[in-house]
Amino acid sequence: MARVKLNGHEIDVADGAPLVEVIKRAGVWISHLCYIDGLPPYAGCRSCLVAIEGARGLQLACTTKVADGMVVETETPEVKEMRQSVVAIINANHSDRCLTCHRRVKCMPGDICLRDDVVTHRCVTCSKNYRCELQTTNELLDMGFENVEPWVGEPRTYYQHAVPEPDRANPWLEFDPQMCIICTRCVRACDEIRHTGAITLAGRGFPTRIAFGAGGRVDESNCDFCGACIDVCPTATLMEKPNKWIARTEDWISTTCNSCSVGCTISIGTRDGRAVIVKPDRVNPVSADQVCVRGRFHYDAIPEKKRLQRHYVRRGPAGSAQFPAHWGELVEFAASRIKDVVSAHGAAAVGVLGSPFNTNEENYLAQKLARDVIGTPHVDSSGAAPDRAAARAIEAAFGTQALPSDMITLGRSDVVVVIADDLESSHNVAALRIKDAIVGNPLAPRNGKLVLVSALRGEMADFAEPYGGAWLRPRPGGEAAVADWLAKRARGEQAPSPALASGEIAGATAALDAAKDPAKTVSVVFATPRFDARAAAEGAKAAANLAIALRGERAAESLYILPAEANMNGMRDMGVEPRDGGMDAGAMLDAAASGALKALVVVGDNPLMFAPYRARTERALASLDALIVIDSELTDTAKLAHALFADVGTYAKAGTYSNAERRVNRLHAAQQAPGDARPALLALTDLANAVGGADTWAYAHPDDVTDEIAGRVPGYDRFRASFGMWGKARISSPATRSEVQSVAEGAMPERDGSMLLTAGRTLYTSIEGAAVHSPDADKLHREEFVEVHPADAAALRVSGGDEVTLVSPHGELTLRCMISGRVLEGVVFVPAYHDGGAVTSLLHGDGAAVAVQVKVRTPA
Amino acid sequence: MLENEATLEIQHLVSEFKPGDGDLLAALHKVQHHYGYVPKIAMRVVARQLRLSEARVYGAATFYSEFRLIPPPRTLVGWCSGPACRFKGGEHVRKALEAELGIGMGENTGDDKLGLHLAQCNGTCEHAPQIWVDGKVVGPLDAAKTVRLARELKEQP
Repeated sequence: MARVKLNGHEIDVADGAPLVEVIKRAGVWISHLCYIDGLPPYAGCRSCLVAIEGARGLQLACTTKVADGMVVETETPEVKEMRQSVVAIINANHSDRCLTCHRRVKCMPGDICLRDDVVTHRCVTCSKNYRCELQTTNELLDMGFENVEPWVGEPRTYYQHAVPEPDRANPWLEFDPQMCIICTRCVRACDEIRHTGAITLAGRGFPTRIAFGAGGRVDESNCDFCGACIDVCPTATLMEKPNKWIARTEDWISTTCNSCSVGCTISIGTRDGRAVIVKPDRVNPVSADQVCVRGRFHYDAIPEKKRLQRHYVRRGPAGSAQFPAHWGELVEFAASRIKDVVSAHGAAAVGVLGSPFNTNEENYLAQKLARDVIGTPHVDSSGAAPDRAAARAIEAAFGTQALPSDMITLGRSDVVVVIADDLESSHNVAALRIKDAIVGNPLAPRNGKLVLVSALRGEMADFAEPYGGAWLRPRPGGEAAVADWLAKRARGEQAPSPALASGEIAGATAALDAAKDPAKTVSVVFATPRFDARAAAEGAKAAANLAIALRGERAAESLYILPAEANMNGMRDMGVEPRDGGMDAGAMLDAAASGALKALVVVGDNPLMFAPYRARTERALASLDALIVIDSELTDTAKLAHALFADVGTYAKAGTYSNAERRVNRLHAAQQAPGDARPALLALTDLANAVGGADTWAYAHPDDVTDEIAGRVPGYDRFRASFGMWGKARISSPATRSEVQSVAEGAMPERDGSMLLTAGRTLYTSIEGAAVHSPDADKLHREEFVEVHPADAAALRVSGGDEVTLVSPHGELTLRCMISGRVLEGVVFVPAYHDGGAVTSLLHGDGAAVAVQVKVRTPA
Repeated sequence: MLENEATLEIQHLVSEFKPGDGDLLAALHKVQHHYGYVPKIAMRVVARQLRLSEARVYGAATFYSEFRLIPPPRTLVGWCSGPACRFKGGEHVRKALEAELGIGMGENTGDDKLGLHLAQCNGTCEHAPQIWVDGKVVGPLDAAKTVRLARELKEQP
C-alpha cells in the first residue's frame, strides 16, 4: 500500500500501480490518448503530464509508478498549459472542424452547413462526432480556439498532405487513416490483448501510419474483426461500419450474446428501440472487455423487416398458403389442433421441441407445456444429441454434469489440452483466454503450453508447437483415440501410438509430463462436435480420462466441456431432454414420418437446420397433423407451420442463459419487438391456457418464470429474478467420483474414391441469417464454400470457386469449392449452418461421419 | 496459405532463418537480394517461417528505406538528400526530376522503366548537387540540366 496525495486529497493505492490508472480510479479526469489499462505504457501521446513534487519537470502519469508519499497535481496552470500544448500538436495533424466551428453544438448529422467550411472538412462528416475521445479531451482540456490552432495563419500539416484513402471494403470495420493520431493503441490491443497482430506501424518518421497485414485492405489481412481496436481507438480511425451515423445511443442495455456457449456479456446501445452498436460488458469475468465478431456485429445479422412481424395460420392441406392471423384466433386454432390430436391419438402423439437459443424461461415453459399441460413425455431439441451424449459421458465419469471448473482459470493455465475442431471459430473468446494462458501480455508474460488435438487446421495451431506445445492431427474421427492415448500414457499404461496425419508426439508428452506437477494449473477443453453424438460421447470420455490421468481426484476442476450452442446446458437443466421414456428428437422425427407422432410444438427450434438427415425431417414435418412453431424468423420449419407465432429476437427478450460452465447470465430486452411479434413466453402461456383451460398458468412477467425455475429446478435456487450477481455466480457441484471409461474406436466410412464429409461451426456465418437463407449470412463471403484439399482439387480438376456437388446416400448438396489448407487430403469441410443448414441433407440420422462423392459440374 | 511455386521458392530461400524477430532483417535482405525487391507474398512466407505476424514483417519492411516493396525499375535514379547537395540546390533537382518523370520518391514510372529513390550522401560531395543513375554519379546538376537528363533517360530504349 502507498499513500498518495492527489490534488490535495490523500488516497491509499497499491504500491507500484501506474499513476494514470490511480488517477482515473480516484475519479479525476486526465487526458491520456495512448494508454491502455493493463498494458505497458507506450508514452507516445505525452498528454498525461502531471506535476509530481520533487520530480524534475513534469512527468508522464502513464510511465510513473506510484510510491508512498508521492504528491501529485493534475490541475495546476502549468500542467494544464503543458497538456494543452501537447494536444495542440496532436490536433495539428488531425481534422479539426468538429472543434473549431463555433456553431457546431447546434448542428446535427445531416444538417446543411451554414458556414463556409469545405464539405469534406465539416464536423458532421466524422461519424464519431460527440463520442470521440480526442474531441472529449479537447473539451475537457479547455482547448479554446487559440489552443486548437496556436499558429493561426500558418499552414497546418493536416491540410498540407493528401488525404489517405479510407478502407470501407468490408462489412464491419471501417478504417479511415486520415483521422489517425498514431497512438498505436490498436496495434497493441490487436497484438497484446487479442494475440492476433493484424495491425502494425508502417513507415518511419512523419509519414508513419497504421496498416493492416501487408499494407492492403483490412479483409486481406489476418484480422478477425473482433473489434478490440475499435474499442480502444480514440478517434474515428477505426469504427464499426454498421449504424455508424446513428450510433449515438440513447440507452445501453446489458445482455448475453447468443452466438456460442461462452456466453459473453454484451452491452447493446440503442436508439429509438433499435440496437445500433455493441460493446463488450466488463461485468462478465470471462469475456471481460472482449467479444468476437459474432457478438459485436451479429445483432443486426438480418434486418428487422426480415423478422416475423405477424402471426400466420395455415388451415388448408400441406403446401397451401399461410395467412396472417390475429393472436387470439391463432391461439385458439393451435390449441384446438393439439386437442384434436390428443383426443384422437392420445397425448403421446404430441412432441415438443425446445432450442438452445431459447432462454431458460422459454425452455422451462416449453417442457412444462408438454409434461404438465399436454401430458406427453416427448421433449427434446433437434440438435441436442451430441451435447447430451457428451454430458452423459461426463456424468458417468464424475457423477455430475455441472463440473466445478471455472473458465476464469483458463487464462491462468500452465498446460492446456484442446480437443476441438477450430475452437477459434466455434468458441472465440474461450480460445482467446487459452491464448492468454500461452503468451500472456508484456506486463504479465506467460509460458503456457498448448496441446491441440484437431483434424482441422485452425488459428489455435499457431499457438501450439511454436510455443513449446504440440498439434496432434489425427484424421477426422480419430480425436478421441488420440486424447485417450495421451490419457493412457499419463497413467503409465502401454498402448500403441495413435494414428496421426501429422504432429510431434514428443512435444505433447513433454507438456503433459510437466502437467503432472500438482503445482501447475491444467485445463482440458473439449468442444462437442456439431452433429456426431457418438464422437461427442467418446471425445468427452477421452477428455475426462485425460483430466483424471493428469489431475486425479481434482480432475473435474480442470475439465471444460463446451457445448455447441449458447444455452445448451440451460436447456437440458430446464428439462428439454427426453425423460421418463420420452423420445429424443431423432425418434420423434422417425415417429412423425411413420405416422405415430401427429403434432409437434416447435419452440424456437428449426429441425430442418439442426437435425441431421434432412430428407427424414422433411418427410416427418410434412406428415404432421399439427405443426405449431414459435419463432422470430420465417425459417424453413416455420414455413411449414399450421400455426406460426411471431416471437421476438434474442436481444428483445428478457430471461437467463446458462453457459458452458453454467454461469447463469441475464438477458435484458434491448430491442423493441418488431410489428406484432410477442415474446415466446406469451405464446406458451396463452397456448397452455387454451389447451389446459383458463388459469392453467398465470405468468404475468418473465420474472415469475425465473422465480418458478429457482423453486423447481435443482441448482437454480439462488437465481431468483431479484438475484443481484448475474454473470458472477455459477451452478456447479463437486465430482462424486473420477471414473476412467473405455473409449471406443470410431469406425470411419470406407474411402474408396469418396471423401469424408466434416461440418462445423465457422466464425462469420450468422445462424439467424443462415436460417432464412440470407445471401449475407456470411457478410464476408468467406464461408459459402466446401473446403477441399489442394491435392484432391488437383485430382478432381477443380479450382477455387468451381461448383461441385456432394453426393451422400441421403442427398445432394451443390456449392462452390474453396481450395484450402485447413482440411486433410480426402476430407471436405462444409460450414454447418451455411444456407439454412444445407449440409444436414447429406448426414446420417445419427449425425455419424459420412462419405460423400464429389462430382464436378462439367461446363455445358 | 496455399503453396505454389513462388511460395516454395521463397520458403526455400528463407528456410535457414529461425523463429523470432532476430532474423527478420536478414530474411528480408535475402529476399530482396534474390528478387530485387520484397514481394507481398514473400512477407507472408517470411512471417510464417519466423512465426511472426504478417503485419510485423510489413512494419519492418516499410520502416527501412533500404527495402523496396515494388519491383526495381530498369534504371534506378537516386536523388542525393545529403546536406552538401541540399545546400547547393538539390531541392530544385528533385522538383525537376519529379515533374519531368511524373513520379514521386520511391515510385516507378508506369512501365517500370525508371524509378526514383531517396539516396543518402556517399561522400562524393564535389559533384553536388548530384543524382546517381544506376549507381553512377551525375553532377553537378542544375534544374535545366536535370530536365535534359530526365528526358534522355525517358527516351533511351
